[in-house]
Amino acid sequence: MRRVIVLIMLYLLMQAVLPLGEGTPAALVLMAFGFLILGAYSVGELATTIRLPKIVGYLVAGLAVGPAALNFVSTPVMEQLAPVSELAIALIAFLAGAELHLDEVRKRGVLLVKMMTAELSVSFLGIVVVLVSLHRFLPFLNGAPMSEVLGFSILFASIAVVHSPAVTMALLSESGAKGVVARTTLGVVLLADVAVVLSFSGALTLARVLAPPPGGEGIGFVTVLWEIGGAVLVGAALGAVVALYLRFIRRELFIFAILVAFFGAEIAGLMHVETLLTLLVAGFVAENAGGGEGEHLRHAMERAGAPIFVVFFALAGAKIKPDAVLQLWPLVIPIVVVRAAGIWAGTRLGAWWAKAEPEAAKYTWMGLISQAGVAIGLSSVVANVYPERGEEMRTLFLAMIAINETVGPILFRIALLRSGEATPASFRGGGH
Amino acid sequence: MSASLVLILVVATAYLATHLLYEWLARRLLIVSGAEYLVLGVLLGPQVSGVISREAADSFGPIIVLGIGWIGLTVGMQFYLPRLVRITGLTFRLAVIESLVTLSVVTGVLWWALPALGLTSKFWAIVPALALGAIAVASTPSGLDIALRDRKRREPVVNQLETSLGVNAFVAVVTAGLLFSWVHRAPTTALRPPTPTEWAVITVGVGVLGGTLFHLFLGEERKVDRLVVSLGGAIILASGAAAYLNVSPVLATLVVGIVLVNTSRGRAELRTVLAEAERPFYYVLLLLAGLSWRPSTSATAVAVVALYLVTRTVSKVYATRATTAWNKATPQLGRDWGKALIGQGRLTVALALDYARRPELPIGDVVFTAALLSVLLTEFAAARLVRAALLPIVEPLRDLAHRLPWVDTAEHTAETEIPRSESGATSGVFVPHVNEGASTLFGPEVDGPPAALPEQGSTDQRTPEASR
Repeated sequence: MRRVIVLIMLYLLMQAVLPLGEGTPAALVLMAFGFLILGAYSVGELATTIRLPKIVGYLVAGLAVGPAALNFVSTPVMEQLAPVSELAIALIAFLAGAELHLDEVRKRGVLLVKMMTAELSVSFLGIVVVLVSLHRFLPFLNGAPMSEVLGFSILFASIAVVHSPAVTMALLSESGAKGVVARTTLGVVLLADVAVVLSFSGALTLARVLAPPPGGEGIGFVTVLWEIGGAVLVGAALGAVVALYLRFIRRELFIFAILVAFFGAEIAGLMHVETLLTLLVAGFVAENAGGGEGEHLRHAMERAGAPIFVVFFALAGAKIKPDAVLQLWPLVIPIVVVRAAGIWAGTRLGAWWAKAEPEAAKYTWMGLISQAGVAIGLSSVVANVYPERGEEMRTLFLAMIAINETVGPILFRIALLRSGEATPASFRGGGH
Repeated sequence: MSASLVLILVVATAYLATHLLYEWLARRLLIVSGAEYLVLGVLLGPQVSGVISREAADSFGPIIVLGIGWIGLTVGMQFYLPRLVRITGLTFRLAVIESLVTLSVVTGVLWWALPALGLTSKFWAIVPALALGAIAVASTPSGLDIALRDRKRREPVVNQLETSLGVNAFVAVVTAGLLFSWVHRAPTTALRPPTPTEWAVITVGVGVLGGTLFHLFLGEERKVDRLVVSLGGAIILASGAAAYLNVSPVLATLVVGIVLVNTSRGRAELRTVLAEAERPFYYVLLLLAGLSWRPSTSATAVAVVALYLVTRTVSKVYATRATTAWNKATPQLGRDWGKALIGQGRLTVALALDYARRPELPIGDVVFTAALLSVLLTEFAAARLVRAALLPIVEPLRDLAHRLPWVDTAEHTAETEIPRSESGATSGVFVPHVNEGASTLFGPEVDGPPAALPEQGSTDQRTPEASR
């Protein structure tokens, strides 16, 4: 009941303030930020009462207050809040890297690589096949020669196989699950993230060769190599600096955590290296070279990042265009189904290959369905390279993500509950 | 290189430099750290080196508003009613009179001077004059905080200083808030533009709503993570809404703070959360204030700035002296405790930024420059000013000499180990564990009630010794 009162008060506040104010855009952005924190968080808590993950609540809240419905958070405001999403992705990547312990990698690295390889390969092939089959109905492939169809299908599939480290991390943080399903899912998601970044760069290069973008701007092998290799180098350097700070200073971790993520994202952009990979490596190095102090930084980062994550997911929800989803419904469904089937089959195959634990074999696939920020980010890269086709492709992605990011957390929650690694109570009392 | 990256690098470097250099300086020379960030901001900003352009500096607008709101909240958090009611009427009376005298004197002098110097019309002069008057009232608790951190504060003069710092902050914020309601430009979208009174009510309403939302949102939860989300949400929403309505974010969040501290059972956790982000937040705000600074185009502005500094200092010193003598409290408080109120810090910066970000108000650059210069000139010396204020009464309060060993000789200063605070910082290092006034009424909770001045005419005419 208290949550409902909070939401009603927030609604009335916005209704009263918006017509009265003529402040600067900066003030409006700040107000929308605060509104999203309190509003989305409240909806997230309401979602738990009907046994849905909080993230679904955040997404629904975003959808409700975004341009598609109430428009309290308009498109210009969302653009102004873009740095929040970038910061959230940086925080997520760093935290994800920090979750990779060297011991765990040594012990389960081979298993994770095998599962990830099988899962990505099967789902990738499935999506390429379905896209090639449906190419006459897809706006960005209709009438294109077969070479282009193949190039864009590969490019599309290289993004479509991506998972959501954000959702995975958030649900694990929410439930406190640390069992074999939780660890396997997280490991596969993180490794797949690195693999997808690599394969996406390759797929984009291939697409540029098969269908040169308008203006003929190409991308060289050296550039791709630098984006990946440079990210590892920059990330390692950043991680080393963070580790030194943790060993010798260890103060003001709350602010330091935010600064690290912000600085990492900025420096990656400046040096033209892959942001996610940079932060992922930085987190990994900081955790494993920080002399046992990495846990404190992770806690500080989770604490400082909590409002940022809420807003990030709410903004992701606000970006969903229900009309686009409805229009592309007949095309999206087969792709979503084939992807899910590919993930299921690939994970089972990988688990058999790697001789994984029965629980991991049975439930891990359910944690790999979610998609969010990374997929949106990569599809935006395509839209930048191919303004027309890329934009059409992005709309299809947004429709697909709308389904996956709603269904994915629910499935992962079910997986954690059924495997016994979490309880309904642990979800209700979770972090964010 | 992007402006954000420059800002991050500068803050990080300055922060480390502060740890390495200023910790040493503060311990030995009682220099308060903070104002150097202001200088750094000016040096990096468009007026000097141009490393950060005007557009880039403007893009930090939301952070500035949030910083202003944060400071308002920390001021409001000190007004915990059960503690306030234990302070005697005389202590309050001295504090209120000093605040109002400073406000009146500075406002009056500048109201006369601004048109005389040709900076504004006589009609409009009251606006910047009142703004400067409000800013003049604010004093930093840095010096007191450095001198007395981790020590019990039960001496009447210390209690008086704490109360005065809190009352100063309150009067400054409320005056500025009412001023912004009074000169509010009418929105074109509203059917009937609200009156100044209505704008004032709206400002307070935003604060009450923000505080209520926090309270409802948090419920009975005590988890720090949840506290961060709800506190962050309440501050950001209240500051943003106030700024969007063009009313005072400091006043709105001051009200949020008052509501929180008086309704939440997790006051200790709230303080912990606030303290964690307080110092870096202040540094960033100082840096952004330096970036936002624009020199006045008028040469007579220098005279206004000088007049502000002189009038304020004279008012603080002599208003307290006269009021203390008039109330026959000189034996307990000494004559010069007003010197401890000369230092200015973060609330001054927040109020000045709040004024300067409104292009419709006259001579924002002059008001801003006066405030920044005052911080620059007085904050470094805040701890020394406190020492100067306390020295004359150290003899009667011998116990205080043990608690403040540095007041005896300069040599002691170098030898004295300053205890570590909760966050690990040495107490002599950084100003701002708490906001202007935040180390006062809200400050460390001592065992038992704070020492109070005996009410004038009351039967409890204890000596300072007895009052301990």
